[in-house]
Amino acid sequence: MIPQIGDILRVLPEIIWCGTGVLLMLLQPFLKNRQALTLLAMTGVAMGTLSTFFGAWGSGFSGLIQFDMFSLFFHWLVGLVGFLVILGSDTYLGRENLEAAEFYALILFATAGMGVLASAQELLTAFIGLEMSSISSYVLAGYRRDSIKSSESAMKYFLLGSFATAFFLYGIAMVYGVTGSTNLATLATADSHSTMLRLGLTLILVGLGFKVAIAPFQIWTPDVYEGAPTPVTALFSAGPKAAAFALLLRIFAGIDAATTYWFWAFWILAALTMFVGNLGALVQTNIKRVLAYSSIAHAGYILVALAAVTFTKSDVDGGASRAYAAVLFYLLSYALVSVGAFTIISDLGGRGERYLNVDDFAGLGTRQPFAAAALSLFLFSFLGLPITAGFFGKLYIFTAAIQSKLIWLAVLMAINSIIGAYYYLRIVVVMYMHDHKGPVPADAPAGLSITTAVVVAVTVLATVYLGLAPSHVIGLALTQHLMLSAR
Amino acid sequence: MVASGHLLSVLIFFPAVGALALLLLKNDDELFIRRITFLISLVEFLFSLALLWTVPIGAAGYSLEEFHKWIAAPPINYHLGVDGISMFLVILTTFLMPISVLASWKGVHFRLKEFHVMLLLLEVGVVGVFLSLDLFLFFVFWEIMLIPMAFLIGIWGHDRRIYAAVKFVLYTMAGSILMLVGIVWLYNSTGTFDLPTIQHLLQTGVLVLPARTEMLLFLAFFVAFAIKVPLFPLHTWLPDAHVEAPTAGSIILAGVLLKMGTYGMIRFCLPLFPDASHKAAPYVGVLAIVGIIYGALVALVQPNLKKLVAYSSVSHLGFVVLGIFAFQNIAMQGAVYQMLAHGISTGALFLLVGMLYDRRHTFEISEYGGLATPMPRLAAFFLFISLASMGLPMLNGFVGEFLILLGTYQVNWKWAAWAATGVILSACYLLWAYQRVFFGDITHAKNRELPDTSARERWLLVTMAVLTLWMGVQSPFFTRRIAAASHKVLEQSNGYQMHEALVPGATPALPGMPAANPAELSTERLAGR
Amino acid sequence: MPLHPILDYLWIIPLLPLVGSAINGLLGSNWSHKTVNTVALGSTGLSFLCALEAVREFFVSGQILFRKEFFDWIVAYNDLRIGFDLQLDQLTVVMLLVVTGVGFLIHIYSTGYMAHEGGYYRFFSYLNLFMFFMLILVLAANYVLLFVGWEGVGLCSYLLIGFYFLKKSASDAGNKAFIVNRIGDFGFMLGMFLLFRTFHSLDFQTIFAAAAKSSVAVEPLGSFGILTVACLLLFMGATGKSAQIPLYVWLPDAMEGPTPVSALIHAATMVTAGVYVVARSHILFTHAPTAMYTVAVIGCATAFFAATIGLVQSDIKKVLAYSTVSQLGYMFLACGVGAFGAGIFHLMTHAFFKALLFLSAGSVIHAMGGEQDMWKMGGLASKITITFYCMLAGTIAIAGFPPFAGFFSKDAILFGAYNSEPGGKTLYAVGLLAAVLTSFYMFRLIFLTFFSQMRYDPRKVHVHESPANMTVPLIILALLSLVGGWLALPSFWGGKDYFADFLAPIFGMDEVAGVDRAAAHSLELILSGVAVAAGVIGLLVAWKMYAKGAKQGTSTGLHKLLYHKYYVDELYQAAIVGPLVWLSRNILWKVVDVGVIDGTVNGIAHGTTAVGDTVRQTQSGNTRSYAVWVVIGAIVVFGIIFWPILRNAFTPTVIGGVR
Repeated sequence: MIPQIGDILRVLPEIIWCGTGVLLMLLQPFLKNRQALTLLAMTGVAMGTLSTFFGAWGSGFSGLIQFDMFSLFFHWLVGLVGFLVILGSDTYLGRENLEAAEFYALILFATAGMGVLASAQELLTAFIGLEMSSISSYVLAGYRRDSIKSSESAMKYFLLGSFATAFFLYGIAMVYGVTGSTNLATLATADSHSTMLRLGLTLILVGLGFKVAIAPFQIWTPDVYEGAPTPVTALFSAGPKAAAFALLLRIFAGIDAATTYWFWAFWILAALTMFVGNLGALVQTNIKRVLAYSSIAHAGYILVALAAVTFTKSDVDGGASRAYAAVLFYLLSYALVSVGAFTIISDLGGRGERYLNVDDFAGLGTRQPFAAAALSLFLFSFLGLPITAGFFGKLYIFTAAIQSKLIWLAVLMAINSIIGAYYYLRIVVVMYMHDHKGPVPADAPAGLSITTAVVVAVTVLATVYLGLAPSHVIGLALTQHLMLSAR
Repeated sequence: MVASGHLLSVLIFFPAVGALALLLLKNDDELFIRRITFLISLVEFLFSLALLWTVPIGAAGYSLEEFHKWIAAPPINYHLGVDGISMFLVILTTFLMPISVLASWKGVHFRLKEFHVMLLLLEVGVVGVFLSLDLFLFFVFWEIMLIPMAFLIGIWGHDRRIYAAVKFVLYTMAGSILMLVGIVWLYNSTGTFDLPTIQHLLQTGVLVLPARTEMLLFLAFFVAFAIKVPLFPLHTWLPDAHVEAPTAGSIILAGVLLKMGTYGMIRFCLPLFPDASHKAAPYVGVLAIVGIIYGALVALVQPNLKKLVAYSSVSHLGFVVLGIFAFQNIAMQGAVYQMLAHGISTGALFLLVGMLYDRRHTFEISEYGGLATPMPRLAAFFLFISLASMGLPMLNGFVGEFLILLGTYQVNWKWAAWAATGVILSACYLLWAYQRVFFGDITHAKNRELPDTSARERWLLVTMAVLTLWMGVQSPFFTRRIAAASHKVLEQSNGYQMHEALVPGATPALPGMPAANPAELSTERLAGR
Repeated sequence: MPLHPILDYLWIIPLLPLVGSAINGLLGSNWSHKTVNTVALGSTGLSFLCALEAVREFFVSGQILFRKEFFDWIVAYNDLRIGFDLQLDQLTVVMLLVVTGVGFLIHIYSTGYMAHEGGYYRFFSYLNLFMFFMLILVLAANYVLLFVGWEGVGLCSYLLIGFYFLKKSASDAGNKAFIVNRIGDFGFMLGMFLLFRTFHSLDFQTIFAAAAKSSVAVEPLGSFGILTVACLLLFMGATGKSAQIPLYVWLPDAMEGPTPVSALIHAATMVTAGVYVVARSHILFTHAPTAMYTVAVIGCATAFFAATIGLVQSDIKKVLAYSTVSQLGYMFLACGVGAFGAGIFHLMTHAFFKALLFLSAGSVIHAMGGEQDMWKMGGLASKITITFYCMLAGTIAIAGFPPFAGFFSKDAILFGAYNSEPGGKTLYAVGLLAAVLTSFYMFRLIFLTFFSQMRYDPRKVHVHESPANMTVPLIILALLSLVGGWLALPSFWGGKDYFADFLAPIFGMDEVAGVDRAAAHSLELILSGVAVAAGVIGLLVAWKMYAKGAKQGTSTGLHKLLYHKYYVDELYQAAIVGPLVWLSRNILWKVVDVGVIDGTVNGIAHGTTAVGDTVRQTQSGNTRSYAVWVVIGAIVVFGIIFWPILRNAFTPTVIGGVR
C-alpha cells in the first residue's frame, strides 16, 4: 500500500537523519574536510529536528507510530543531544584522527533509531528503533579501533545487548501470543490479570531495563562507558536512555496489566539502582567510570518517578501527570548536563584519553578556570544543588514520590543524594583544592577548543536556565502527558 | 504588611552584583581587590542599617514584603519579608562581613579575587536565608550558602582543610536534604510553599496535621537546624570546620551561620509544628543543657585555642536553644538577643585568635604564654572579649544568658539550675586559657618579639569592643525591636497562653502575690498534649 | 522641695572613678606618676566629696529612702524591666562613706607603696574601676544592678590579685578568686530567679514591700519556704564573695596581690559585700528563720575555724587574711542572730582597723624590702615607730580592748548572739573562743614583728620608715579605729547607740527583742567584761610564747594540720578540680567526642565506601558473569511480579487466590 503523505511527514525527522547519514557515507571518499562534514551532519540533525514542525498529529502507518507531543518532545531531546554530541566530537575526532563521516553517520542512524523508539506505537516498530540505535551504538563504542579498551567495550556491549534484546523480543512474542496484537492501544485494554501478558511485559521490562541501565542490568554500563570514545559516552548517557525511558513510559503508563506489583517492581528496582549506582561511584578513580555509575544512579532516581507513575496511575488528582512531567523534565535536564560534562571530559582527556583519572584534574581550577567552573556546575547539577537543572529535576521527583505517599522511597533517594554528594564534591575538591602532583604533562590539553567551548556554553546556559526558570519546560512536560493520556 | 521598595532584594543581591563586578574587573592588584570588597560590604552594611528605621517597632508581622511569582508549578514565589528577629540577624551578617574582609587583610595572600568573591556570595546566601518567607526560597539560599563556605574552608584553610570542608558540607546536607523532603511533604499537604500562608492555614485550623505526621515533619526540619546550631550530639563538624577555616571563615561561621539553625527553629519549627515542638521540648531542652555543660567541659581541656573557642560556641548556642524551647517570653527574647551577642563576642574572639595565628602560625596554647608582655593591647582586648563571652554584667554576654536563664527558670527551674552551671564553667575555660596564653613568663623565644596590634587591628578590635559594651548597657535597643516578633512566635506555638498564666504582663512587672507555681503548669504543659 | 544637685545625679558618684579608670587605662601608659595620681586620686576624691554632699542632702531631705530610675538596662517587654536605678538609704550611707572614705585613703597610700612598681597606671586604673563597681554595688536599687557591682568587684579583684601576672602563683590566685566567686554567683543568680518568680520583680522596694506583708515564707518549695530557699541561695553568693565556709579558700591566696589591694578589696570593702547583701535583704531573711540560723552557724564556724588557722601562719599577710575571714564570720554571725545593726557596725569598724592593719603590714613589708615572713623580722618597733604604733592601735582594736572600735562592735555582736534563739549560748561561746584566738594571733604578729631580737641580716635589709603619703593614711585610720567605735557606746557607759538609731529606719530599733532594758544593761556589762578578759588571755599567752623571742614552731600534729589550713585546698583539688578535668579530657573529649560521636560519623562514611568497594567487586569485567547477572536480575523481577502467584503456590490453602 502507498503511505499517505501525512505518514511520511510523521517520520520526516527519521528520514532526514538517515538520509544525511547515508549522504555522509557517500561523500566520505571525496570530502576530507572534517569541519565541513561536521557542519553537514549538524545541519542534518537540525533540519531533522526542525522538520517535526511539519509533522501531522496522530498515528501513522496504520498505527505503527504515533506522532504526538510526547514523541515531539523526545524528537527534540534526541535531536538536541545528537546536535551537541556531533559538535562536541569534532575536536575529539581530529585529535584521535578518526574517520568523521562514518562516525557522524552512525550517530545520525542512532538518533533516527531513538526517534522511532520515541514515537513507536507498536512493539515491533519499537524493536526496530531499538535495534537501529543499538547496532549503531555497538559500532560507535568500538570506534577507536587502536584502543583495546574501546574494542572490548564494543564487544561486551554487543554480546550483552543482543542478549537483552532477546528478552525484549521474547516479550513481544508472548504479548502477541496472548493478545493477538502488538499495538499498545490494543494492549492498553487487554485483560490485566493474564499471567502470560505479565510475563511478556516482564521480559520487555528486562530488555528496556538493560538499555536504560537499571540495576541489576546495569552491569555493562561502567565498562562500556569507560571504553567508548567520550563523545559516544555522552551520547549513550543521554540519548538512548531517554528514548528507552520514553518507551517504558508509553508501555507501563498505558497498560492496565501493570498492577500494584509493577509498582513494587519499580520501587525495588529504583532503590536497588540508586544504591548500586552511588555506592559503585564512591570508589572509582577514572572520571568516566564515576559518571557511568552516576548515570546508573540517575536512572534510579527516574525509576522513583516511574514507581510514582505506576502507583498513582489510577488516581485523579493529577499525581500521575506530575510524575510524568517529572520524568520528562529529569530526562531532559540530565541529558543536557551529561552531554556537557562528557564533552568537557572528552577535551580534558587528552590524546588517547590519557588523563581521565580524577587526580589528573588536580589544580584545574587555576589552570583552566572556565572548564573547571563549568564542570563544577554540571557536578552540582548532578548533585542537585539549587539554581541548577538537576535541583528541580530532583525536586519534581521528590514531589511526585511524596504525593504518591512514597515517603520512604523519597527518604532513600535523599540518602542517596548524600552519598552522591560525596563523590561529586570529591571531583570539585580535587579541581580546586588539590595541587597537581608533579609537573603538568606537556601534552595535557591547555584549554577547551572552540567547538567544545560552544557546546559547554550552551549546556551551561541550559543548566542555569532550567535551574532558574523551569516553569516553561515543566509546563510543556505536563501538557505532553495530557496529550498522551488524551490519546 | 507594606510592600514598599525593594530594600530586601537589594540587600540580598547587592553583594552578588559586587562579586560579579569583582570577577569582571581585570585589575588584579591585591590592595585594590581588598579595598573594593571592603567598600562593597560596607555599603551593604549601611543599606542594612536602613532596616532599623523602616521596620516599625512593635509590629509583629513582616515588613517590607516583596512578592513575585517565580515558578508556576509547583507554585514557588520570590517572597521576602523581615521582622524584628531577622532584621538584626541580617544587620549582624552585614556588619561582620566588612570585619572579616579587614580580618583577612594580612592573613590571606593567594587567589585573593576568588576569596573575596566567595565571601560576598556567602553573604548573599546568608542574607537570603534570613529574609526568605517562602520555604522553597529559604531552602535554595540555605543550600547555596554551603558552597562558598566550603570553598573558604577548603582552599584558604589550614592543614586538614579539605577533610573539614567536605565534612561540613556533607553534615549539613545530610540534614537539609531531609528538610527538603519535609518541605515538599508540607507543600503536598498545603499546596503552597508560602510561609505566612501556611501559618494562616494552621491558625485558622484549615490545615490540621495528624500528630504523627507533624512530629515527623518537625524532626525533618529540626534535625537540619540542630546540625547547623550545632546541638549536641550533632556538633562534631564544628570544631574541625572552625580550626581549619581561615579567620574570616570562622568569624562568619560562628557569627552568623550557626544562628541560621536557631533562626530556623524560631521561624519554622515552633510556628509550623507547635504541638510537636512542645512534645519534643523536654528532650530538646535536655540536649541543650548537655550541650552547654559538655561543650564547656570539652573546651576546658582543649590544647588548641581555636578549638576551645569552637567548643565554647557549642556551649553558648546551647543557651539559645534552651531559651527557644522554654516557650517563655523572657527566655525567647533572651535567646534572640543571645544570638546577636554571641555573634559579636565570639566573632571577636576568632578575630583575636586569628591575629595570634597571623603572628605565630599556630593555635597550640602550649606554643604561647606570657604574651601580655610583648603585646599588652592585644592582651587587654582579649581579656575584654573573654569577659563578655563569659557573661560579665554590662557586657553583651550577660544580658542574653540572664534573660534566658531567668525566663527558663520561670517554667522549669531544674533546667535553669543545670544550665546556670555553664556560667561557672565558661569562666573556668576562658580564664584558664587566658592565663596560659598571656600570663607568666615568655616560654618561647619566638614570642618575645611579637608585635602588638597594628592600627588596622586596633580599629577592628575597638569596634568590636565598643559594640560589646554598648549592647551590654543598651540592650533595650535590641529587645524593644525583638519583642513583638518573638512574642508572635510564642503565640503561634500556642506557648504564650501558658506563659501569660504565669506572669501578669505589665511594664514594669507589678508586685503581685505569687501566681500559681509555674513549674507545675509548665511541666504538665510540656509533658502533656 | 529643696534642690538636690547630687542626689538627682547620683550616678556621678560611681561615674567619676570609672572615668578616672578609663582615662588612666587608655591613655596613662606613658604618663608620669604625678599625672596618673592626679587623675586617680582626683576622681576618687571628688566622688568622696560628692558622697558627702549626697549624704548631706539625704539628711536634709529627711532621711527617707531616696530612689531614682536613670535608664532601662535589661527589658523583656511585657514581663521584665531592670533599670539602672540607684537608691540611697541609711545602710547605703554607711557603706558609701566607708567605701569612698577608706578607698580614698588607700589610694593615697598606694601612691607611696606602688611608687617603684611597674604598671603604675594599670594599677590605679584597676583600683578606680574597683571603686566604680563597689559604688554601683552599694547604690544599686535592684538585685541585678547589685549583681553588676558584685561581679565587677570580682573582676577587679581578679585583675589586682593577678597584678604581678608574671608570677604564676599570682595569676593562679586570680583565677581561683574569680572562679570560686562564680560558684557563689551561681547561687546568687538562682536566688534572683526564684525571687523574680515569686515577686515578678527584682527591685528592692517591690520585693521587700511584698515580702514584709506576704505569707510566702510558709509556702512550700520542697520542704522549705520559698524565702528560705531564696535566702540560702543569696547567702551562697555571700559565702563566695565574703569568703565564708565552704568558699573561703580564695581569700588567703588573694594575698598575692599588692598590699593596698589586700587592704581595700580583701579587707575593707569588697569582701564585706556579702554581709551587705544579707543586711540589705534582711526583710527576706527575717521571714526565713532556717536561713537566718544557717547564716549564724556558718558565720560563727568560720569565725572560729579561720582563727585557728591564723594561729600558726608565718606570712604576715596570711595571718591578716585569715583574721579577715574570721572577722567576716563575726559579721555573718551578727546578721544570723538578727543583730544586723551590729553586723554593719562591725563591718565599718573592721574596715577601719583591718585596712589599718594591712596598710601597716604593707609598710612593714615595704620597710623590709618585700619580706613577708614574720620569722625573718623582729625588733622593728624601734626602727619604724609610726608604723608600729599604728599597727598596735589596729591590733588593740581587733583584739577588742576598749575604748578601741573593735571592742564595741564585737561586743554588740556577742551580746546579740548570747540573746539569740535557738542555740544562742553556743554561738556566743564559740564566738568568745574565737575572740581569744584573735587576740592571740594578732599579738603574736605584733611580738614576732616588732619585738624581741631581729631575725634578719641588717646588712642586706635597710629598714626605713615609709614616706608621708603612706604614714598619713595610717595615722588617720588609726584614729578612726580608735574613735570609730564611739558611735555606739553601750548604754551602761551612759552612752547612746547613735549607730543603731541611725540604722533604725532600716533594721528597726530594738535588735534584741524580748530583753528588758535593765536586764540588758547588766548583762551587757558582764558580757563585755568577759570579752575583754578573753582579749587579755589571748594577749598574755602570746606574750608568754613570743614576746621574748621564739623559734619557728616545729610542724607536727595539730600545728602541721593548722599550718596547712586543714588541707582543704588539697581536698578540693583532689575531690573536685582534678576529677573534673580528668573526666573532661579523657572521657568526654577523647572518648565521647572523638571516639563515639565523631567515630560514628566517620564510621558511616567508611562503611559506605566499603560497601561501594564490594559493589565494584561485582564488576569482574568478565562478560559471561555479566550475562549471569542479567539473568539473575530477570529472575528477581519475575519474582517480584509473580509474587502473589508464587505465594499462593506455597500456601495452597488460600482459595481462589483471594488476597
